[in-house]
Order: sequence, then structure tokens, then C-alpha cells
Amino acid sequence: MLIKFADWLDERVGWRQVWEAIFLRKIPKVNWFYTLGSATLFLAINQAVTGILLTIYYVPTPDHAYDSVQYITTQVAMGWLIRGLHHWGASAMVVIVVLHMLRVIFYGAYKYPREVTWMTGVLLLLIVVGFGFTGYLLPWDQKAFWATTVGTRIAGTPPIVGDYLLRIMRGGPELSAVTLARFFGTHIWVLPAALMLLIGIHLYLVIKIGISAVPKKEE
Amino acid sequence: MEDKKDVSRRDFMKLAIASIGGAIGLALGIPAVAYVVGPALNSKQEQGWIRLGSTTKVEAGVPTLFKAKIQQQTGWITSEEEISAYILSDNGRDYVAMSNVCTHLGCRVRWIAEQNKFFCPCHNGIFDKEGNVVSGPPPRPLNRYDVKVENNELFIMGV
Repeated sequence: MLIKFADWLDERVGWRQVWEAIFLRKIPKVNWFYTLGSATLFLAINQAVTGILLTIYYVPTPDHAYDSVQYITTQVAMGWLIRGLHHWGASAMVVIVVLHMLRVIFYGAYKYPREVTWMTGVLLLLIVVGFGFTGYLLPWDQKAFWATTVGTRIAGTPPIVGDYLLRIMRGGPELSAVTLARFFGTHIWVLPAALMLLIGIHLYLVIKIGISAVPKKEE
Repeated sequence: MEDKKDVSRRDFMKLAIASIGGAIGLALGIPAVAYVVGPALNSKQEQGWIRLGSTTKVEAGVPTLFKAKIQQQTGWITSEEEISAYILSDNGRDYVAMSNVCTHLGCRVRWIAEQNKFFCPCHNGIFDKEGNVVSGPPPRPLNRYDVKVENNELFIMGV
């Protein structure tokens, strides 16, 4: 029954070809370090799912942000778990992404013909850091407030453009409701859109070109 | 080493991936449902007896509107809300407290003295002074509160 339906669907949309290209593709004999990319993808999906769930209760305004986060953590069923997964997943994501990059560097996997994969990867790293930076403000507690005060002040240090950068990030000279709203908007709309686009390209290239083998000693 | 190969390496991997994936899916999926549904299952907090005001304000045979402030906790917000009830007494001893919430779809009804009826502005629900449906879509009479009188002060049981 199920197989009949799978056949019916395959005849019309050709999903088996896609399935084989993604999951049954040939890869060289590699080691566990080559799973870091998949681990990152797993964490990204975790962040997306728990992040969407958090927006069901979270309110990004100075008078509600902190209280709504406390409400999620202490009142809502399983809220502690959803928030915890998002919180720790975020830290894990940064760590794993960096390890993934180190593997690519040390095995020379960024070389021809995989330069574009590497470049999208670098952009993805920046996006992940952007996620971390914008997400850190959202609980609107003391740590969030002062970390963002410092972070935006650092952005304000370059000569000439620094002050503009700081004001653009904060949406004004001070950290305010405007800052919280734009960090939230960036965190849940701008960065996810960019992330999905780049992951799409990154994965397409990984599948299209195939992954690199572990370099041999004499190479 | 192996006498029989019932399960191939590939099938074993398939099974392992499916089970681990399923376990992760359940471990996140079930809490996610609880998380989304949770607050909907919280029962409304009891308000206890709410003081409305003096019985002397009630005119015999005419529903009189009383308003009281109650503390309401919704999500992370504690707010003061107004609760209204119509009090009816025919003899000055027995009191009936009616909710002003229309039993059709929850709009607020108003007592129109000239017509001697409650009117709901939303879909023309009409109730008599005892809260019974006269015409329109409401399925039930107006809800009633438990009511008590202490030292000439009216109280209703908040639910």
C-alpha cells in the first residue's frame, strides 16, 4: 500500500532521484570529523523549531520581554525545555560550526573545486555569530542589556563610520525599545532567510561536487 | 564469524537511523505540543466573593447594574478588570445576580428600561428582566452568579 503510493508519487514527482542524490550518494572513506557539518545542520533545525516555539509566547518590547521569558521558563509546560534547547543549542552551534570550519581548513577541503562552498560557509559562520549576537539581547535581562551595550559600542569604535554603525545597530544613540525590536526582527526574519538561502547553496554544492577525501600523508 | 545474515549492515543502519530520528522527534514533538497547548488547559483562578455595593441601590423589580474591579492574571500580566452584574430583587430580600454576558457569542447586554428588556447589540438577542430569552439567537438564559448579602452589602461569587 505504502510502496504503491511511493511509486505513484515517484512517477509524478521523481522524488527517488532526489532521495538518492542526497542520501545514497557515493562518498570517500572519511572519519568522524566529517560529521560536523551534519551536526551543524541538526543544530540549525533544532534552533529553528525551538525558536519558532519561543515566539508563541515571547514579546519583544521592554515592558514584556523579560516577563514573557520568565513566563516561558517558569509557567508554561515544557517551556524550560524549549528555552533550554534554544539557549544551549545556540552555544553548541557556535562551537560546532567553528570545529566544522577547522576540519575544512586542516584537511584542505576549501581548495579547488570547493571554493564557493567555502565562501558560503564563511558567510554562514558570520550569520551564526549574528544570530548569537542578536539573540543574546532578547531575554532583556541585565546581562543581555549590558552585553549589547558593550557589543554595539565595539561596533562604534572604527573611525568615521563607527558612530553611524553604532546608531544603526541601536536604532538611535541609546539602547532602547527600538534596539530590542530590530534585534528581534533581525533574529527571526533577516538572519533565518539568509541562513536558509546559504544553507541551500552550501548543501547543493556539497552534493553536486561531492565531499573531499582525507588528504594522504605525502600530499 | 556470522552464520546467518538476517539483517544486512545497510538495513541495520536504516533501522538505527529511523529509531534514533524517531526518538529525537518524539522527545521534541511531545513537549512541543504540551508547550503550545499548556496555558489553554489552566483553569481560571477562583475570585471568591466579590463585593458589589449596597443593597439600597437596587430598585425593586428593576435589574440594576453593578460593577466591581477584579484582579486578573493572564500570562505574565496582572491587570485590573471590571466585572459587571445585573442585580434583580422583587421583594428587597431575595436577590438574583445575572451576568451581562450574552449567552450567544459573548457580547455585553444592556438593560433598556423603557422596553423592560435586556438587549444584545450584536445579533439582537433579547432577554426579559429575569434573563430568560425572549427572542433572537441566544441558546440559554443569562448566566447567574451565586449571590449573598452581608450587612446590606451585595456579594457575588466570582468564577
